[in-house]
Order: sequence, then structure tokens, then C-alpha cells
Amino acid sequence: MRMICLGLLAMAEAVALREAAAASPVQHVLVQMPLLVLAGVLLGWNLRVRRDWAVPLLLTALTAFLFWMLPRSVDWALTPAGEAAKNLSLPLLLGVPLRLSWPWLGPVLRGFLKANALSMLGVLGFLYTHAPVRICNSYLVSAQQELGFAFLYLAAALACLWAIPVLFGHPKCGSFGTAGCSRCGV
Amino acid sequence: MLARALPSVLAAVAGGGILWQVTDGAQAFTSEAARRLDVVQSPRQVPEVLLEDMVGRQVPLLPQAGEVVLVEFIYTVCGDICQISAADFAEIRDRLRAQGARVRLLSVSFDPERDTPEQMAIYGDAHEADGVMWTVARPRQKDLPGLLKLFDVTVIPDEWGGFQHNAAIHVISGDGSFSAVYDTDAVEAVLAHLDGGQP
Amino acid sequence: MSTASENYIPGHAAAAPQAGAVKLTMILSGAVFALMMVFGLIMRAAQGQWIELDAALFYQLLTAHGAGMVGTAALSGAAIMWYFGGRHLVLTGGIFWAFLGLFLLGVVLILGAIFIGGYGGAWTFLFPLPALSGGAWEAGAAAAFMLGYTAIGVGFLLYYLELGRRIHTRYGSLARALGWNLILGREDNDPPPPAIVAAAAVTIFNSIGIILGAAVLAASLVHLLVPGFEVDALLAKNLIYFFGHVFINASIYMAVTAVYEILPEYTGKPWKSNRLFAIAWNAVLIFVMAVYWHHLLQDVVMPPWMLVVGQLVSYFSGIPLIAVTAFSTFLYVRGSNMTWDLASALLVLSVAGWSVGSIPASIDGMISVNKVMHNTMWVPGHFHTYLLLGEVAMAFGFMAWLVRGKTIARMNGLDRAGFAVYLAGAAGFVTVFLFSGAASIPRRWAVHYEEWLTHDRIGTLFSVLVVLGTLIFVLRFVARLGRSEG
Repeated sequence: MRMICLGLLAMAEAVALREAAAASPVQHVLVQMPLLVLAGVLLGWNLRVRRDWAVPLLLTALTAFLFWMLPRSVDWALTPAGEAAKNLSLPLLLGVPLRLSWPWLGPVLRGFLKANALSMLGVLGFLYTHAPVRICNSYLVSAQQELGFAFLYLAAALACLWAIPVLFGHPKCGSFGTAGCSRCGV
Repeated sequence: MLARALPSVLAAVAGGGILWQVTDGAQAFTSEAARRLDVVQSPRQVPEVLLEDMVGRQVPLLPQAGEVVLVEFIYTVCGDICQISAADFAEIRDRLRAQGARVRLLSVSFDPERDTPEQMAIYGDAHEADGVMWTVARPRQKDLPGLLKLFDVTVIPDEWGGFQHNAAIHVISGDGSFSAVYDTDAVEAVLAHLDGGQP
Repeated sequence: MSTASENYIPGHAAAAPQAGAVKLTMILSGAVFALMMVFGLIMRAAQGQWIELDAALFYQLLTAHGAGMVGTAALSGAAIMWYFGGRHLVLTGGIFWAFLGLFLLGVVLILGAIFIGGYGGAWTFLFPLPALSGGAWEAGAAAAFMLGYTAIGVGFLLYYLELGRRIHTRYGSLARALGWNLILGREDNDPPPPAIVAAAAVTIFNSIGIILGAAVLAASLVHLLVPGFEVDALLAKNLIYFFGHVFINASIYMAVTAVYEILPEYTGKPWKSNRLFAIAWNAVLIFVMAVYWHHLLQDVVMPPWMLVVGQLVSYFSGIPLIAVTAFSTFLYVRGSNMTWDLASALLVLSVAGWSVGSIPASIDGMISVNKVMHNTMWVPGHFHTYLLLGEVAMAFGFMAWLVRGKTIARMNGLDRAGFAVYLAGAAGFVTVFLFSGAASIPRRWAVHYEEWLTHDRIGTLFSVLVVLGTLIFVLRFVARLGRSEG
């Protein structure tokens, strides 16, 4: 119940950000959209599915993710129809399926997804900072570059977040003690 | 085995299909590319709209008697892209004139408040738009939103009191349909289009 | 995790899981090495004007040779490290098969892109060359080439994720597997063996390399599909050389685990991690990533400090290698009554070749030298030294060891002949390259002036010897596979 409330709160927060989202792509793509996904993750927090559904759900989440990664979708999300689609599909087709499939994903697959996320953020940063064309018609070129740098900062932050436990061991296991720690996956 | 893999295969096929569909077959990732693809595939009928040109004359947006109209959306005090694209527009005009092609060029202001005929004349002078083959004109304020929507031109204010907009050369073919979009510097492509596709 | 490998005894006592997959990989590697060497031979013969070769085909062969050799070096290195990693870790066989499958898919795409699509933009796919072929190939061919790289990259990513995960599970953290307890003087009753230290270091730097490489590949692919999306050429070059440098170095650093694990069987002295060894590998981890700037010394727009770092690290990066691996190998071999069979001879040769190859590399890493030498044959000279006499020798040594039979026997006549032919051919071949470089003969030219033909023809003769030696090694391996139970 608490998770559902938190999810609804995140959702409300995201919807409240619609003005900010229209003003800046950073707030749109890196604040509002992640909040919507988070809302879905929280809403689905206590749900469980059978293992058989893990892969189809992951593919659904990836499709939704790739769709909203398209620059034209970001433009579309500022129109009334697109906004409704965004507010519904990011929680329900990305957040919830991701949450449901995640417990079933093996460590190698999780690592693969994380590594890909880093690469893709790098690509987006690369393209958005250097594209000589405007990628989104709804935003200024300078905002586009800000977004590109924001992608790169996010990639760096996520890389640290994910790499530090692997490098130095899980905090609960003591810093690289002699006892192996099998419960912290990559 | 097969039954267990079926949902995954379906999800993958559906996902791939959706992404293929929404990018027009992996061709259009940006809304600008989507717009260009769309007008080629389904040209849009341009309404009868009169514009006011540099000397206060009313000029039609629609092509007259089989001519082709090339349209650029601009605002006259634009500091960067419009100045460069105007030079390319002038080159297109010169080369079409040399060919004797029946083409009219229009630089249409999306800022009719500030772009008075005097202001447009200054812009026209600066780029040798003499009003014969190429003129600068503004729509009435009430026609503007419809035009921007028809041509899918997004205009947003920038940090310096000006605007940013998806600048391009828009082709209205002889039958009065908006049927192609080119980069402002794609001089050769525009000329080739007119050469081959002129009705 | 139990401490199954605590009482690890080198050699037969240790389990060799997935030996079949590794042997298959080594057959493939050996075959591709031989084929790529033939491509090299054809290019040298064409430069020497002994055969007629269309210039477009020359650049396709150059591209195939570069991509094929780098890929195969990495493939064989990965198989070696998987094999010896399996002595200390429980590794999932399915991941290796997925890795191999993706690798082969990549090979098919790359070969198709080159020989069907006509792609000849070199293995470095430097922006914007793949998109500016001047009509020599379509964008689709360049895209297929890059998709091939992507498939191989995905395969390697899976490989390192599995390896990193297992190291993490077994040792609690990668830092411990890198020997930080040894470095910091902390007590560790289960210190990581050399192969694990190497595996941990390679896993870290090559994963970073692959992630950055994937970024530049994806950006280049987007540029090919949608030419409006430009990428910054200098940033792309930096990323490509970071990825390329790290990737080719990783192949040697993976293959060297064969030296750590196999030589003790011959010397009778186990190769243990100690503090110096751990420090050296941690230094390698940093140096490999910081030294790539020495590939960009001719790019005047690079910030000068990066180039200075590139030159300095070039000097230093030889130290951990030579001080630790080469010097230790020397000590191990000198103090023991070693049996010289084909495997041990090739492995010792490989350490020597690797070390010697770093000398011309360091020379080219000097800014003042680089300005005149970097576009000459000096550069293929140095990297052929540490690849042909280093990584490839390690791979052949490992292959010979895999089929050594139940007892270690001294070299027979054919082994001696193969070794002598390979050593003479490779040493002569790289020496000609270095001489040509010193004589300012440019690299990557399809057509050579009359004055250079002597160099090219001598090089061609030596490369015939290399191909012969390689064929002996590979055929011997295949012939013996049947009768060894391994």
C-alpha cells in the first residue's frame, strides 16, 4: 500500500512538472520521464509474476524505452495526445514491466543491460552535444547541448554507482575482506 | 519449449514492429525527418492565403498558373541561420532565373508584428530579393497559426529575444500541394527536384 | 562459494572445464591466423610487385587483415583466459558458447562487408571515412562492418560480465582480486593467483573499452543511417583509439595467463602473486587506459597535456611488463632444469617477443620521433613484433600445451623445424618492417616505388616462412587433438 502511495506521489509529481518539461529538455527527459518510470516501478513493487513472463515483460519495457528515446517521440510528448501517451505508457509499459521482470533476470543479463545503458547514454551525449541539426524542434539548440552533457554526467554517475560495489565489495561484506561474499551479485 | 518461447517471440516481434512503424521503417528518428517524409508521401493542400509583401502588395501563397512556389519561413532580424539560408535562396533564384524556370520564391515571416513591409524591404535589400522572382512577405496574424501547423514549422523564442525554428525550403507544387522539404543549403537537391519533378 | 581451488595444484590435477569449447576456439583461431597471414603475405607480395593486386582489393585485404588479426588475437586470448580462469572459478559454459556464437556472427558480417560490400576503410573505421568512400562501398557495407564489431563487442561484454561476476563472487570484490590486500600489506589467506589478477584487470579495462567502443560504434552507425547526425571527429578518434588500444592490449594480457599457468609445470616452481606482481598489474590497469594518447601524437588539435601524458605513460608502461612478467620469466627459467618442448619454447619466446616489441613502441611513443615515424613501416614493425612474436606465439604455445599428451617430451624434428621456421620468419619479417620504417617507407600504401621493392620482397620471403611455421603448428594441433584426451 505504501509503495502504491509513493508511486502515485511520483506520478503526481511528474504530471506537475509539465510546464518545466516544456521549458527544458533536461527536465523533460531526465526528470519527468524517469519520475514516471519510477512511479511504475513503485506501483508494481509488490506484484509478482511467473518466471515465464520475465522475458516478454523485459522486451515490452525495452520497446517502450526505445520508443521514448526517439527524438521525435520527445517532440510528440509535448502535444496533448503525446502527453497522455507518455503519462500512461512510461509507468505502465516501462516501469511496471521492468519491476516485474527484474527479479528473474540473471546477473549477466543485468550487467549487460547496465553496460548497454551506459553505452547508449554515451551515444546520446555524443549526438546531442555535437549534432549540427536541431534534434527536437520543440527545444533550443543550447538546451539540446545541455541535455547531451546531462546524459554524459548521468552515464558517469551510473558507472560509478554500479562499478564501486563490484570493485570494492558490498559495504555489508566489509571492504574486500578475505571472506567471499556470494549474496551481492554484480 | 516452443510454447514457452512464444510470448517472448511475440513481444520481440511486436516491439520491433512498433519501433519500425513509429520510425517510418527506421527512416525518421526526429520530428523534422518525419515531417519531410510525410509530406512527400502525402502532400498537403495549401489553402488560399494572401500575404503582404515588401511594398504592401497582396501576393498569393498558392502557385499561379502552373508555377512552383518555394517557401522559407523567416523573421527579418534573425541573426544566424536565416542570413545564411537567404544567401542560398538567392543562389537558387539566380540559377532558376538563368534557366527561365517558372518558379516563385517566398520568404514568409512568422513574426508579422515586427516584420512590417519596411522591415521586410530592408531584409529584401540585404539579400537582393527584388520582389520580382523572390519576395519577402508576411501573413495576417490570424492566418499564421494555421500556416505553421500546415507546414509543421515550430517556432520557439530563444534566449536573445529572437526565435529558433526548423528552417527549411518548402516546395509547393503547381497543383497547390505542399509536397517536399529540403535543407536550406541543399541548393542542388532543390534544383534537381524542380528539374525532374516539375509538373 | 566453497574454496574449491584453495589446494590448487598446477597441471593435470586441476579440472579443465569446457576444454572442448576452448579447443574448438583454438582451431578456429589457428585457422583464421593462418588465413590472415596469407592476406598479409599477399599484400607484401603486391607491394613487392611480384603479383598484381587491384588497389581496392589491397585495402579490403588490409581491412580484413587488421580486423581479423585483432579479433582473432582477442578470441584466442579470451579462450586462454577462460580455460585458466576455469581452474579457479566456476564459469558458465553457456556464456562462452554465446560469446563464440556472437563472435562468429560478427566475423560473417565483417567478411561480408569487406568482400561482398567492398568496405575498405581499415579496421579503425575512423570517422568520417566509412561514410565517405568516394563510391568504393555503400553505406550499408560500412554499417555491416560496424554491426559485425557490435556483435563481437556484445559477445565480449557477456564474457567479461560472467568473468567479473564469478571473480566478484569468489573474492568478494574486484579490488581484492587485483591483489589490493597484497599491495596494502593486509593479511589474505586466499590471495588471488596471477591468472585471476590478470583476469580482474583485463575485465575492468576491457569492459570500459567495450562500453566506450560501443558508444562510438552506435554513434557512427547513426551517422551512416542519418547523415545529418554528425559526430565530433576528434572525440570519435579518441574513443576509437581508446577502444582499439585497450582491446588489442587486452588480447595479450589475456593470453599471458598461459605463461603464468603453464610455465610452472615446466619449471616445477608455482607462479604466485606477490606484492610487486599486484602493483605491476594495477599499474597496467591504469597505463593501458592512459597511454592511448600516443596514437594521437600527430593530432595537433589535441590538448598538449594529453600528448605529454601519452609519451610519459608510453615510457612507464614498459616497466610493469618487463620488470614483472619478463624478468620473472627469466628468473623462473634460469633457475630450473626446464624441459624444452614446443609449448614451453613458444611461451618463453612470446614473453621475449612481447618485451622486445615494446621497445620500438616506446620509441614511436616519443612525440619528436612520432612526427616522422608514425606513418612509416616502423609502426607495423613494432606491433607485429609483440603480436606475431608475443600474442600469437602465446596462443600457439597454449595450443601445443593443450595437445602435449600425458608426458612432457622434448621437441621432435618437426617441432624443431616449425619453431625454427616460425621464429626465423617472424623475426626477419618484423626486422624488415622496422628497417623499412627507419628508411621512411610509408605504411598502408598499396603501390610502392621501385626503390622500396627490395624491402618488400625480403619481407615477402620472411612472411612465407611465418605462414609455413603457422601451418605446421595448426596442423600439428589438429592432428594431435584426436589422440590426446586432454
